[in-house]
Amino acid sequence: MSVSEKRLWAAWSRFLTGLVGAILIGFLVPILVVVAVSFQSKSYLSFPPNDFSLRWYQQFIGNDDYRSAILNSMMIGASAAALATVAGISTALAVVRAGAPGSAIVSALSIAPAVLPQIVLAIGLFPISVWLGLQGTLWAVILAHAVIGLPFPFITVCGALTSYSNRIEIASMTLGANAFQTFRLITFPMIRPAVIAGFIFAFAASLDELVLALFLSSPSTRTLPLLLWEQLNFQVTPEIAAAASVILAVTSLLILAATLLPRLDKDN
Amino acid sequence: MLQMVSRSATTAESRAAGGAAVSIHNLCKRYNNFEAVVPTSVEIASGDFFAIIGPSGSGKSTLLGMIAGYIDPSAGRIVVDGRDIVPEPIYRRNIGMVFQNYALFPHLSVAQNVAYPLKIRGVAKDEIAKRVRESLAMVRLEAFASRMPSELSGGQQQRIALARASIYQPSILLMDEPLGALDKNLRDEMQEEIKRFQQELGATVIYVTHDQQEAAFLADRIAIMRDGAMTQIGSPRSLYEQPKSRFVAEFLGEASIFPIKTASARQADQTCRITLEGGTEAVIRTGEDGGPGRFACIRPERITIGPKARGLANSFTGVVRESLYTPGSIRYRVELKDAGCLLKVRALPQHNTEVFETGSSVDIGWSVDDMTILAE
Amino acid sequence: MKQRSFLLYLPVALLLTPFFLAPMAVIGTESFSGQHGIGAEYVKVVTDQGIRTVLYNTFYVAAMVTILSLLIGYPIAYVLARLRGRWATIGIFLIFLPFWASTVIRSFAWMILLGRKGPVNSILLGIGLIEDPIRFIDNGLGLMIAMTYIMVPFIVVPILNGLRAIDPNLPRAAAVLGANPWRQFLAVTLPLSMPNVAVGCTIVFVTSLGFFVTPSLLGGDLTVVSMLISEQANRLLDWPLASALAIIVLLLTIVIFALLRLSQLASRRRGKARSGVFA
Repeated sequence: MSVSEKRLWAAWSRFLTGLVGAILIGFLVPILVVVAVSFQSKSYLSFPPNDFSLRWYQQFIGNDDYRSAILNSMMIGASAAALATVAGISTALAVVRAGAPGSAIVSALSIAPAVLPQIVLAIGLFPISVWLGLQGTLWAVILAHAVIGLPFPFITVCGALTSYSNRIEIASMTLGANAFQTFRLITFPMIRPAVIAGFIFAFAASLDELVLALFLSSPSTRTLPLLLWEQLNFQVTPEIAAAASVILAVTSLLILAATLLPRLDKDN
Repeated sequence: MLQMVSRSATTAESRAAGGAAVSIHNLCKRYNNFEAVVPTSVEIASGDFFAIIGPSGSGKSTLLGMIAGYIDPSAGRIVVDGRDIVPEPIYRRNIGMVFQNYALFPHLSVAQNVAYPLKIRGVAKDEIAKRVRESLAMVRLEAFASRMPSELSGGQQQRIALARASIYQPSILLMDEPLGALDKNLRDEMQEEIKRFQQELGATVIYVTHDQQEAAFLADRIAIMRDGAMTQIGSPRSLYEQPKSRFVAEFLGEASIFPIKTASARQADQTCRITLEGGTEAVIRTGEDGGPGRFACIRPERITIGPKARGLANSFTGVVRESLYTPGSIRYRVELKDAGCLLKVRALPQHNTEVFETGSSVDIGWSVDDMTILAE
Repeated sequence: MKQRSFLLYLPVALLLTPFFLAPMAVIGTESFSGQHGIGAEYVKVVTDQGIRTVLYNTFYVAAMVTILSLLIGYPIAYVLARLRGRWATIGIFLIFLPFWASTVIRSFAWMILLGRKGPVNSILLGIGLIEDPIRFIDNGLGLMIAMTYIMVPFIVVPILNGLRAIDPNLPRAAAVLGANPWRQFLAVTLPLSMPNVAVGCTIVFVTSLGFFVTPSLLGGDLTVVSMLISEQANRLLDWPLASALAIIVLLLTIVIFALLRLSQLASRRRGKARSGVFA
């Protein structure tokens, strides 16, 4: 390869890297646009915004619908993620460690909710929710979201368990610890990052989910995405942009905390 | 040091100190149609260092797993100090185990790793601290108490694993290829360490390895496993000098082995004359009958090469086919004249030892006691 | 120990039996319980021109989104796979940042961007590329753009994993044998990453088939199957038809993943084993 040819390939490589960098930064544009339009004063969306006001934020703060929807989403998300994480850990232990029979089928079923269109689950779950008397309660959405959250902790914990040999646990047992002590003192501390990641993913899945909430909630258990969706279908105002910006800010902080916390933990 | 450790052992565990006698009765493990361990019985005396060696897949690790408790035997009993431990779960067996890759808990410090079995047993905090200090002193790693396992070298991790497996004074210490992950020099050093450690601790040790030299160095008795069965059990010396089969003779050290064609009746002085394939005749002193289907075996260092071979009971001339100087010995392959037998020979070089070149003609021979007969 | 391992299945059984398996059974029976006789709903799905159009639209959008995601996602994964250390972390962080914003918010963002008077039209008009604003929302173009935006991270991750698993000595070997970087890519990197491309495309395609939020907001007159199911169930209260449609979507999903699994098994048998996501 001649020198100029070499230089040509290097230039092409730099061009490709630059292009991808531009695409990745471009990915942030839609998010930034939402934030930008939230600070305008007009009651219709215009871009670029030509004035600055916190009017829509004031309206957002004073809006009880948002307050209760955020509260509902947090409660549903936390409860659903907790249920999904418990089920995910225990299933992963059964499949990876205990060599329980039927592990292939159980694994497939535990991953299935991640790929199954939510509308399919929603119309099947609706009659059951009615029949069990859960319809319109928080529990209906919590349990549905626990199902769609399950794949995340299941996959992350399976990954963590396969990343080290079960010798560690056998060693613990030869040293006198029973199965429960071994889980508490050895297995759990070792899979903890995966458990936290799985919980966060399940929580995020619940926070993002609309279709199941649409079918299973009542006005009093309305979730945040559902409220946003209803507002978008009703009338598009910058208040939605303000709400979305606040949500974005809070989620970003949560993600930042989730990525930074394990590092602080390690330093101590 | 030993005194200090045994004094600190509390009453609940002191019964374990000193090592237990283990007797295994018809222990076996079947997986579907595959017999990983055929029914096996063996007695291991209190305080014995018992090594199990064999090629991979011979069932030695399965056997160890059954004693430790993480593999359920298909049948049989494991009696420790008069008590069958098969029905007991792993964590009640009070057995110490050192694993091949140490299996140290990566999220716990060195001190926490060593303290773990005591913590599980509900030992008081200051007592734990004291015994962890003593135990780390015993493996000479006091200074590393607060390090994480990943910050230690392989040999240091190995010593921590030893300390952890012995701090609760288990009556039996199981070791599964504990030195397998170390390089050669460190392995030799750790062998000394393990030997000293076992002598101080007094525990019965069952030690699995595929390295015959390691087993010979450490063990009082060695069992050689093949296809799930113990083919021969004995002291390192008896296994080397009186192997019963080709497999044992070849697994443990080097040997030249020849099929026997004919054998004369045994004389009053226990000697007989055998004919090897190729027509070579030899006189050997043996307790075994020789004959077709059996083998004659001779170790390379038992063969004398050079003029001194002329006066021996079995004396031949041969041609050096291969000559190799290695540290500590000179290795030859010598072909006997008119017979075609190729013999492995090892001579110890001294300042005046003659080194024979490839192609040169040499005298070669051995006495009546140097060749043994293998039944299979 | 073995007997008690069943107990570990208890939580997942308590969760999935009533809230996942039972719903599937419910839509299965419901789909056959219409007034027009057993199987009538399925006949309607196949014969009704309106429903056929919806199914066609759904497939068309999903296929287009898959192709667009692959075209954008592969170069991203390729560049990220070659980055090391901090830059790789930053790249992955950037690609996942929008992922954390909810689908509703991301769809809303594209409603703003692609509106008749939105920034995209303003810019295009401003530089004189078009004379009239493009009606992104009405013709399905906006929907595909927004869905691609949402799906790209899902295709980047499996391809990135596949590219990272390739032994760096293989392209080097091709280079030593005289292949220029482009030939190295064609001969080594691309074929070895194909199994993971298949995984990524399958995930994107199946997810796109079930999309509801984005088509509802950006689809304009275009209806996809999730919207149709929701409409049949919620507004028209035709549960048997909604269930029959759901069963068809469910079966399609299963068939697509079964095909993926089969292709993985086949390529493994050919000795081209790569670590699959669903291994």
